[in-house]
Amino acid sequence: MPEQHILSVDNLQKKYGDVQVLKDINVSMEPGEFLVLVGPSGCGKSTLLSCISGLTEVSSGAIQIGGKDCTHAEPANRDIAMVFQSYALFPNMSVERNIGFGLEVRKVADAEKKKKVADVADLLKIEHLLHRRPAELSGGQRQRVAMGRALVRDPKLFLFDEPLSNLDAKLRVTMRTEIKRIHQATGASIVYVTHDQIEAMTLATRIVVLKDGVIQQIGTPHEIYNTPVNAFVADFMGSPSMNLMSGTATPDEGRIRLEIPTPQGAPIELVDTTTAPEVFPNGPTEVLIGLRPEAMTDQKLNNGQNLQTANCLLEVVEPAGADTYAVVHLGGTEAIARLSADAPVQAGEMSPITFDLSKISYFDVTSGNRL
Amino acid sequence: MRRTLLQSVFLYTCVFAVAIFTTGPLLWLVTMSVSAPTDLTEVPLRWIPSEFDFSRYGALLDIDGGSGERFLSALRNSILTAGGATAIALFLAIPAAYSFSRRNASMVLLFAFLATIMMPPITYILPLYSTFSSLGMLNKTITLVIVYTAMLLPFATWLMKANIDVLPLEVEQAAFMEGASTAYTIRTVVLPLALPAIAATAMLSFLVAWDEFFYALIFTNDLSAKTLPVAIADFSAGRVTDYGVIASVGVLATLPPAILAICFQKFIVSGLVAGSVKG
Amino acid sequence: MFGRRRKQEKWILLAPAILVLALITLTPLANTFWLSFTDTRISALPTPVRFIGLENYIYAFTDPEFRDSIYRTLYFTIVSVGLEGILGVAVAVLLNQKFRGQLILRALIILPWAVPTIVNAVAWRLIYHPDYGALNSLLFQLGFISDYRSWIGDPSTAMNMVILADVWKNFPLVAYVALAALQTVPGDLNKAAAIEGAGPWKRFWSITLPWIAGPLMVVMVLRTIEAFRVFDIIYVMTGGGPADSTKTASFFVYQEYFNYLRSGSGASYAVLVAGISAVLILFYYSNAKRQASGATA
Ligand SMILES: Nc1ncnc2c1ncn2[C@@H]1O[C@H](COP(=O)(O)OP(=O)(O)OP(=O)(O)O)[C@@H](O)[C@H]1O
Ligand SMILES: [Mg+2]
Repeated sequence: MPEQHILSVDNLQKKYGDVQVLKDINVSMEPGEFLVLVGPSGCGKSTLLSCISGLTEVSSGAIQIGGKDCTHAEPANRDIAMVFQSYALFPNMSVERNIGFGLEVRKVADAEKKKKVADVADLLKIEHLLHRRPAELSGGQRQRVAMGRALVRDPKLFLFDEPLSNLDAKLRVTMRTEIKRIHQATGASIVYVTHDQIEAMTLATRIVVLKDGVIQQIGTPHEIYNTPVNAFVADFMGSPSMNLMSGTATPDEGRIRLEIPTPQGAPIELVDTTTAPEVFPNGPTEVLIGLRPEAMTDQKLNNGQNLQTANCLLEVVEPAGADTYAVVHLGGTEAIARLSADAPVQAGEMSPITFDLSKISYFDVTSGNRL
Repeated sequence: MRRTLLQSVFLYTCVFAVAIFTTGPLLWLVTMSVSAPTDLTEVPLRWIPSEFDFSRYGALLDIDGGSGERFLSALRNSILTAGGATAIALFLAIPAAYSFSRRNASMVLLFAFLATIMMPPITYILPLYSTFSSLGMLNKTITLVIVYTAMLLPFATWLMKANIDVLPLEVEQAAFMEGASTAYTIRTVVLPLALPAIAATAMLSFLVAWDEFFYALIFTNDLSAKTLPVAIADFSAGRVTDYGVIASVGVLATLPPAILAICFQKFIVSGLVAGSVKG
Repeated sequence: MFGRRRKQEKWILLAPAILVLALITLTPLANTFWLSFTDTRISALPTPVRFIGLENYIYAFTDPEFRDSIYRTLYFTIVSVGLEGILGVAVAVLLNQKFRGQLILRALIILPWAVPTIVNAVAWRLIYHPDYGALNSLLFQLGFISDYRSWIGDPSTAMNMVILADVWKNFPLVAYVALAALQTVPGDLNKAAAIEGAGPWKRFWSITLPWIAGPLMVVMVLRTIEAFRVFDIIYVMTGGGPADSTKTASFFVYQEYFNYLRSGSGASYAVLVAGISAVLILFYYSNAKRQASGATA
């Protein structure tokens, strides 16, 4: 089985002095996968990538790349390529030599090198830039050159460390699409670090969510989005993030009755018919109720039977183009409901909100774990 | 804040005084070098030469004259010694600096390097003298090049280290990722990036070697190896009756470092400041 | 094993430099130390080397001439470095003002530093000349003196004259370091203090000077180490005279070696001088380290 993994990381630990930056990391990856490491700043994403690349030595654990043990191999011997956040282009060399540097080091014949560089330049649409220096390029062009340098050697594995974070918002979207296109065109195996969860959702075939050096969840974007394993993942992924409201869940005749307190006094009462009542074996339980903003709406949802409507006080109304977001005080948090763009609502008014309870998640109040 | 008239007067008086103090001795040296010999022995002195006499420079730059031969061979020796030592010292200092900057070599060791040049040369001179003497290497340019290399090396290493420290690490990492060896990375990536620093370091090293007197005094004894400082000391100690000759030698020996210092003022100052401020 | 390879590389890259320094400085240092316990003499003939224990040191410690040379060295060091410090800071403060010709003056200041030490010594020797020197003439014409004086021929003035020449050449270094430090003093700090009612003098002492103290200290200690081994300027200007009044420690050892050819006892003096230098160097090190950690904090 390990043969078919392009990358497998086993029980990896990384300490800087007394500080443990990575704890017990286990990840593996099939060829052609686009694995995205995501998490808040300082959670250890770059460190993990750096361990995989060989620029940082692991404290313990093992790393296999293409079925070969690379735990202590030099970066050069791992058959990988890396795109750095700062691009790390060689400022004293032309774009052509930058891209061909890895081939130059491997003493590839000039003609072959030229052809490979030209092919990559063609793929990235930078043929006209080959004779420029990095200083004469725009941010997006540098980004492409950095990717060209990685692509030209056709390595087993590509590593990207926040490659888009130095670009402006618009270019970031363009380059995101570009990276996706290249991934689909080449079938490359990619490990990609970002702290931008939208990038993670759009690019990944699988996402690894990290927090404080510990993997929280590994899954497809769909799994991560719909069934987060804990409140952290629920909160971190998605924009706006999942509403986490405190409330009481009471199993009752094969259903679950929910009470969510409001500042107005009377709690909102809902009935969840999707979730098995066995989730709450101890009778009435204080829980965190997770619902995404799109599961709290004014729209006619026709996907299920588990729809409930309740009147809520809209405290703030924020039109956002395609949608209108409304802030509702529910369960001790400022929950956000996603209404249609032309919803006839005003701040300070009571308005009926439809809750799609088929999308509900429950988390333990103290541990934050999914129930 | 606007200055009052009094403040302005005070400020410009200070500026004037400092300008006179720093340039006065130099101007006088230049004046002496072009004054007629009789002007220089008038009492009290004639400050403005009665005529401009450039003949001494002509004589010094004429290889066939007695003083010309002394001066020009000393100039040649100085250029060879300072240039050779600078080149070798940099060649050794760059890998060492890279090791200190990027391979975690201990700072205590770097300090030990520096301590060797802070020690008075009299601590080393006698054993060096005996060794070179028994090897038949006294009075040879190569001997001075060796000693000066050791003298320049710590300072050059230190300056280069401070400069490599601030180069972007990721660019080097990228080269390693692409499969380049450390030597190849230093050559193709680090050196081009560090070029300005190398130039500044080379210049400062050259000036230090150009200035050195003690080792040259002990290790050389004739035209074949004596450097300018030793030759100048000889000129000045000899029974020269025309002080203008001494002044002209001084002016000529000052020209190269002064031109370098003025043209590359920014470079040198930042090097000096880095050299004095950073630990 | 890239941990090990990095370690190997570390030493491979350092090896040539370490080798050169070991051969040219460490070995001679050890050798000098060994010599200091012998009665070796410099001679064309091979002479037997006799180990005489601490005899040289006992003599050195009781040698009033050596002691005097150390005192002279300390006098030279303290006075010239002190003056360089004061003048350097004053000039730096001046150069930090806005005035016409500021850039020209900044460039001019570097000139004395660029003058080779020996040329500096020769030039000042000419300036101090008892019969035709510029100093005599200038002071006479301005009416400060009525008779020409032999500035470096008189034991009472010789050392101070050497110091003046040394200060002229070396104050620019201090000035440049101080100026660089001054340029990092935040203007707001001074404005705030001015609003609090602090006058310029008070501001200098309580804000500017503390701010530049770190770098200034480092360069002053560096200058102290350099001044303590003074030789070149003495050799050319006075040859240690008159009446030994400028015979500093380095010059003393030089004579012991190359005039009296006593390498054994010369080495013991050299070791003692090196010991004092070592103390200064350690002082420099602790200062520089504090500077460096202060700069990163
Ligand atoms: N060389 C080092 N020495 C000590 N601690 C380090 C070192 N490098 C990183 N760390 C620490 O390890 C933790 C993880 O750092 P890392 O750079 O991997 O975070 P990250 O997830 O990439 O964050 P960001 O999104 O800000 O880039 C941080 O707390 C950081 O301070
Ligand atoms: Mg990072």
